[in-house]
Amino acid sequence: MTDTHVAPPKSPAAPPEPNPEGNRALAKAALWLLRGRTLVVLVVLVVIFSAISSEYLTQSNLILMTKHVAINAILAIGVTFVILTGGIDLSVGSIAGLASMVCGGLLFTGLAVPGGHLFFSVAVVILIGIVVGALVGAVNGVLVTRFRVAPFIATLGMLYVARGVAQLISDGGTFPDLAGTPARGNQGFHLIGVDSWLGIPVAVWIMIVVAAAAIVVTTKTPFGRRVYAVGGNERAAVLSGIRVNRIKIAVYVISGACAALAGLLLTSELGAAYPDTATTYELNAIAAAVLGGTALAGGRGTIVGTVMGAFVIGFLSDGLVLIGVSTFWQSVVKGAVIVFAVVTEQAQQRLQSSLSKRTA
Amino acid sequence: MRIRRAILPIGVAALLALTACGGGDSDDSGSSGGGQTPAASKLIVIITPSPDNVFFKAEQDAADAQAKKLGYETLVLSHDDDPTKQSQEIDTAISRKAAAIILDNAGADASVTAIQRAKDANIPTFLIDREINKTGVAVAQIVSNNAQGAGLGGQEFAKLMGNKGEYAELTGKPTDTNAGVRSQGYHGILDQYPDLKMVAQQTANWDQAEALQKTQTILQAHPNIKGIIAGNDTMALGAYAAVQAAKKDIVVVGFDGSPDVVNSILKDGIKATVLQPASKIAEMAVTQADEYIKTGKASQPEKQSIDCVLVNPDNAKSVTNFAVAGS
Amino acid sequence: MEILEAHHISKNYGGVRALKDVTFTAYRGKVNVLVGENGAGKSTLMKILSGSEQPTSGEILLDGEPVHLGSPRDAQARGIGIIHQELSLFPNLSIAENMFAGRELRRGKRFVDSASQRRRTAEVLKRLGQDLDPNTPVGDLPIGQQQLVEIGRALLEDVRVLIMDEPTSALSNHEVDVLFEVMADLREHDVTVIYISHKLDEFRRIGDWVTVFRDGSLVAHESMSRTDTAWIVREMVGRDPDSLYVRNSSPVGEILLQVRGLTVPGPARPLVDDVSLTVRAGEVVGIYGLMGAGRTELVETLMGMRKAATGEVLIKNQAEPKGTVQARMAAGLALVPEDRQRDGLVQSMSVRDNILLATVGRMTRGGLLDGGAEQRTARSKVGELAIKIPGLAVLVTSLSGGNQQKVVLARALLTEPVVLLLDEPTRGIDVGAKAQIAALMADLAAQGFGVLFISSELAEVIAMADRALVMARGRITAEFSSADVTEEALVTASASDSVLEAGS
Repeated sequence: MTDTHVAPPKSPAAPPEPNPEGNRALAKAALWLLRGRTLVVLVVLVVIFSAISSEYLTQSNLILMTKHVAINAILAIGVTFVILTGGIDLSVGSIAGLASMVCGGLLFTGLAVPGGHLFFSVAVVILIGIVVGALVGAVNGVLVTRFRVAPFIATLGMLYVARGVAQLISDGGTFPDLAGTPARGNQGFHLIGVDSWLGIPVAVWIMIVVAAAAIVVTTKTPFGRRVYAVGGNERAAVLSGIRVNRIKIAVYVISGACAALAGLLLTSELGAAYPDTATTYELNAIAAAVLGGTALAGGRGTIVGTVMGAFVIGFLSDGLVLIGVSTFWQSVVKGAVIVFAVVTEQAQQRLQSSLSKRTA
Repeated sequence: MRIRRAILPIGVAALLALTACGGGDSDDSGSSGGGQTPAASKLIVIITPSPDNVFFKAEQDAADAQAKKLGYETLVLSHDDDPTKQSQEIDTAISRKAAAIILDNAGADASVTAIQRAKDANIPTFLIDREINKTGVAVAQIVSNNAQGAGLGGQEFAKLMGNKGEYAELTGKPTDTNAGVRSQGYHGILDQYPDLKMVAQQTANWDQAEALQKTQTILQAHPNIKGIIAGNDTMALGAYAAVQAAKKDIVVVGFDGSPDVVNSILKDGIKATVLQPASKIAEMAVTQADEYIKTGKASQPEKQSIDCVLVNPDNAKSVTNFAVAGS
Repeated sequence: MEILEAHHISKNYGGVRALKDVTFTAYRGKVNVLVGENGAGKSTLMKILSGSEQPTSGEILLDGEPVHLGSPRDAQARGIGIIHQELSLFPNLSIAENMFAGRELRRGKRFVDSASQRRRTAEVLKRLGQDLDPNTPVGDLPIGQQQLVEIGRALLEDVRVLIMDEPTSALSNHEVDVLFEVMADLREHDVTVIYISHKLDEFRRIGDWVTVFRDGSLVAHESMSRTDTAWIVREMVGRDPDSLYVRNSSPVGEILLQVRGLTVPGPARPLVDDVSLTVRAGEVVGIYGLMGAGRTELVETLMGMRKAATGEVLIKNQAEPKGTVQARMAAGLALVPEDRQRDGLVQSMSVRDNILLATVGRMTRGGLLDGGAEQRTARSKVGELAIKIPGLAVLVTSLSGGNQQKVVLARALLTEPVVLLLDEPTRGIDVGAKAQIAALMADLAAQGFGVLFISSELAEVIAMADRALVMARGRITAEFSSADVTEEALVTASASDSVLEAGS
């Protein structure tokens, strides 16, 4: 038996409980706290940092931190889809960089055609960038399904390939000015990364829209249910008539598109596209998903959790910068928080299964 | 080669001109005399950090062009600031029996062993841009005078700030010697002004996006900041993007003299940068390598320091590809 | 003369009694055969005798002396070796390396003495009548010779008692002959063999004594010469299986499923070999056979989880050529798999989501899932199948085995099948739940479904099937109506190599 999904054995001889009702209430409260642990951690962080710096809990800083969170959150939402099916996507940082360079090139030098350069409007450029990300994701998906490459390997390969292509686009250089000109009709790229609407940065609005869409897809559509099924037990999913390969390709496409979008937001904010954009961001994205309770084995996790995870990471890093902690300590603290989250996740699983067993 | 023509007239490079001609001669004769290396090799291996950064790209291109001009084959590699990768690339150079290695190294301590290995294989190494913490291993260590350059940058920054006010500093990758040297150079000047107050110091690892986000956060914590001094130009660009987004009037000064920053200076964005003569240093290294291959002797002392030049709106127009015309 | 005796052995796993006060004797220099249905307790007893399990109560006597067999090493040291049903060889290592795996001969404490290992391996192979190079990788050998390598491993030690757990299930006739020669030779050398087998025709050739197990008890023990096949089957099955099960008695209608010449290629021989069968409306058809007979492969192929090389599948007289799970499901097939945990349930999902998994695409309104419809649909199935659950939202893993099985069944029924395929539907669930599942199957037939089920239990096939098919080596070897099916006929056909002639 190589099955990892063996149900926990039932113990007929449960330990005696002096006060079953009281214990049960306590356990339920503990479980409730553990389920909401990402939120608890976030609240703790905010409390600590605002005690240290009066600048932390100001409206403008909250907006700024949320804007920083937005990029990682969008990446992490995409990655969450992949992890829910039991896969992993290591290529999102590189896809973000590739999309950034594709759009940077289209805005700065245009598309080389015989007899000159063709320029597209900003909307078209953004669309092209996202399509490029989706296509790279589709390649990942095809590698994983049709060619049966392990997701870790397929997307690790894509991490290098996409980054290399990003560097090839400009021969390693930077596209320094993405403002566009009226003559080329390609002004306004700053809209998504720099501008605000109703006092909230457009990037944050985009994150809200992406997150809302992802929540609906995962919880309210047959597709979402199938994503969970594929990650929970692939063989059972096959037997239930689910087209597992299609679902898998779809999640990599979603992940690629989200990565591209995140790359574009970053590029727009920076006003420049360079090939190293979003290097190692895949690790932050995976960390956010795991922090939010997504199980790397697949089948378990939520978009809300992932977004919360991204908030924890973002609010933590920015807080440490704000109070002037050195980079080295920033790394140590971030790592510790991630490991802590996974430890508590295990505790939650144990408590949950023991509670539900008593119910049955 | 416009830059070379620009440099030639100044006396410093009189020798350089001679050797350039000498290189041409040897090309015709088809053999290089003397030297400890096997006479057959005409390969110069050029190893630099990632050419993602225009600075290293300029360096690579200049060394490559100069070597080809002197009649050598070249192999251009990038170590991406990874000492392990650098070590493997030096092994490649050894196995290809290179005549010389031009190296912008990946770490002042971590590079020593690999360079020694090349030396043991009778392959001379000429270091550019960054020094190592040992002498007698490489034939030459030609670097821009980062301390002098940072002094220039610091003075200009202080002047732009009117010698007072709050400022923040973005430092480079902590493992890179130049990050420390530049920061010390800045503070050697800035700390003399009691009214200049550094309220935040963060590393942005030479990275543009990281500089952007960190600057935004620093501006949150310290809204009264009047200036930001960055350890290199990419970080200065990131910081300036944050300043623009915050719609603030803040002095930003960088270091390197990259084309993007020079453009920004021309558009009254970033206020100043310090130009490292990257192309010039790379060419000097190749020329000295050529001499060494032919004569077996070094014509210059090992440690050579080339002064940096301040770039501000006054002279930005004359800057191209890490060289200032007429300087 | 007895060599190994088990006195009043009982073994409990949690609340389940796997062995009930068993007293068993193995005679010295004889082949002692153990028979019984799956789960009757044979393997448990052998695990105890070979030291890998400890009895809950009772004692073991070797040469009349009480012994404690704390581990397989203990047993080995006392001369008791075991060969398991599944091979435990390393295909990438040579015969010699396999023989000495974990107990390598040493030279100077640290280094493996390969030369001595090869020499001793060659001796053992000679004893087994095999002219093989000890350096041959085991993976290159046919399965029968691999089995002999396992036996050789046991012979390396000075074995006095050799336990063999269904060693012939993967062997060809010729290989079985070789094995029996080896066993006869061992018997002459005063080695005691304890031999577990399902194959009546085989073990009658070699056995001296036969012991029958049923439901964890030893029910009969007799000298082989004083028994016949009918006696053995009678003892294996016990009496009165009918009382447990509800028999289907609905009228039989049109043909719902017709399979013609279905063949699935396998590594050695076809997994499914030219199988043809029909299932009609209102009919419960059972497939009996031993493990590895190709039954699971047959239903998986029907369901589209495996690709058939040749053959045709007609559902309601419509050929379904695509052979994907989706197409077969749409055409009206549904499968309840043998291994619920591996193939049936999504353990991380709730009862409701598991029930609706195959049909979740229909529970939408405006593209989004309709929670109300989901809740209603799941609740109605829970009621229909009398699934006992604390709530629809609890994790499916918190249910008992029988209720988990019903969840999988509920999901299959929701796909609106015309023929239900059930692979070992009563495995691993208690007697009461078995009866309920049987009643459900009869009920489904009465509603006009066709039901095709697989079982390894004779009593179940006889009691529940209107028609019983027997599979062996990928083929259908016999077909019986409920009127003329007998245990003996099923067992004989399951061990047979002869193919059922068309029209018989």
